[in-house]
Amino acid sequence: MKKSLSRTIILTKRNFKEILRDPLSLVFTLGMPLFMEILFYFIFHNLTSQFEMKYLAPGIVVFAESFLSLFVGLLIALDRSTSFLTRLYVSKAKPYEFIFSYALSIVPIVIIQSLLFFLVGGIIDSSIFGIGMILAILISIIPSLFYIGIGILLGTICNEKSIGGISSIVIAGQSVLSGMWFPIEGLNEGIVALMDALPFRNATRLVQNIMNGINDSFQDFILPLIIVLAYTVVSFVVAIILFRRKMVSK
Amino acid sequence: MFKNTEGNGFIMERAIKINNLTKLYKDVIAVDNLNLEIYEGELFSLLGVNGAGKTTTIKMLATLTRPTNGDAAIFDYSILKDEDKIKEVIDISMQETAIARKLTVEENIVFYAKLSGQTDEEIIASKEKICKSFELDKVLKKQASKLSGGWQRKLSIALALISNPKILFLDEPTLGLDVLARRELWKTINELKGKMTIILTTHYMEEAEALSDRIGIMKDGKLLFVGTKEELFLKTNKENVEDAFIEIVSGGAL
Repeated sequence: MKKSLSRTIILTKRNFKEILRDPLSLVFTLGMPLFMEILFYFIFHNLTSQFEMKYLAPGIVVFAESFLSLFVGLLIALDRSTSFLTRLYVSKAKPYEFIFSYALSIVPIVIIQSLLFFLVGGIIDSSIFGIGMILAILISIIPSLFYIGIGILLGTICNEKSIGGISSIVIAGQSVLSGMWFPIEGLNEGIVALMDALPFRNATRLVQNIMNGINDSFQDFILPLIIVLAYTVVSFVVAIILFRRKMVSK
Repeated sequence: MFKNTEGNGFIMERAIKINNLTKLYKDVIAVDNLNLEIYEGELFSLLGVNGAGKTTTIKMLATLTRPTNGDAAIFDYSILKDEDKIKEVIDISMQETAIARKLTVEENIVFYAKLSGQTDEEIIASKEKICKSFELDKVLKKQASKLSGGWQRKLSIALALISNPKILFLDEPTLGLDVLARRELWKTINELKGKMTIILTTHYMEEAEALSDRIGIMKDGKLLFVGTKEELFLKTNKENVEDAFIEIVSGGAL
């Protein structure tokens, strides 16, 4: 157990360094969402409540988390393509140690994302500061785990050339199906039902609702939480199974 | 202790014993009923054209691929049942360079040393030893991705030695390197001879000739020849490994 933990930490540190030293990952996970938060607020906040900071900041946090699937996936796909992982398979590290190390190495970036986007949002509109914001920062870790799980899964099955295109579907899913950029009231019922069944809108609602107050604890908190957690668990379980298969090919 | 059954009379410790090892990919036979013994401290080269089954053999021995049939014992540990025990005594350098790209050379060394469970004192000793053997001092602070292909390959092989393996698998170690980088790597590999058992796969006949204690020639998953260079020359009536290799794999047709 102690050795397993030690190996996971060693792998995590290496993964974290690799991600941190890729300037593109910082541009996409921090720079671009921050620019969008500021830009969209100043252009649209007087036109629609969608872009008031109390909705925009938590929405941007979850949107930025969707980029994590790309960067975790890319790191794994590159590690696979260069035989780096094959070499590590000969070490005593177990599949779940690899998976947890990839996941843990992203958590500091998740925390930085949350703090940055909420703080900048708070500087622009100080009304969002409060206990709700602290709770939103904490709860935003849950959707990030979903995106990390998806990233690990994609990195395990895609190569370094296809990972960009495939993970952009996930990012587009978060962008379009989260309902954060447009009001969903006028949408077709079937589309709304699809949005409710997928994790994207639930992830955004989870963080937005915890920040702005919960009226119906089941509808506003428990249900979105269960849906996001279910997708997270499934993505991790499938990722571990496929990763194990890749480790020892049959 | 085991008698070297190749018949040169020396008593040598057996490192690997392969029994009827077979690997099928759907209906393609990658390795066909392979039987072979490799002894401690020897450098054994597996030669073969593309698709001969060299890499699959190495992957099975390194527990990276499950055989379809047969088994192999590495110091009496079964590749089917004793994966963890085998991982304690082997390391591998694959065809492609296997390094952490964004880490410096030093960080790569420390990372692998830590992962193999070394203490702080052992890590310092490993670093010194590896740097000396592979002359890595001059690039120690450089990011691995910024090294030339030759240096990256050198680092990749160096990393496989950090865990002090008793058996080292080198899969096409000089593939794609220029002639100088290749010769430098030969020198390094030659210095490792006798200190550990090395199983090397290569396409380069002169590489096998320069480095090997014994040679195995594979074709279509079958082992067609095992022996020393001298035995190979005697069998084929040729004077170099390349001609002898062609004679064996073509059955004298070329």
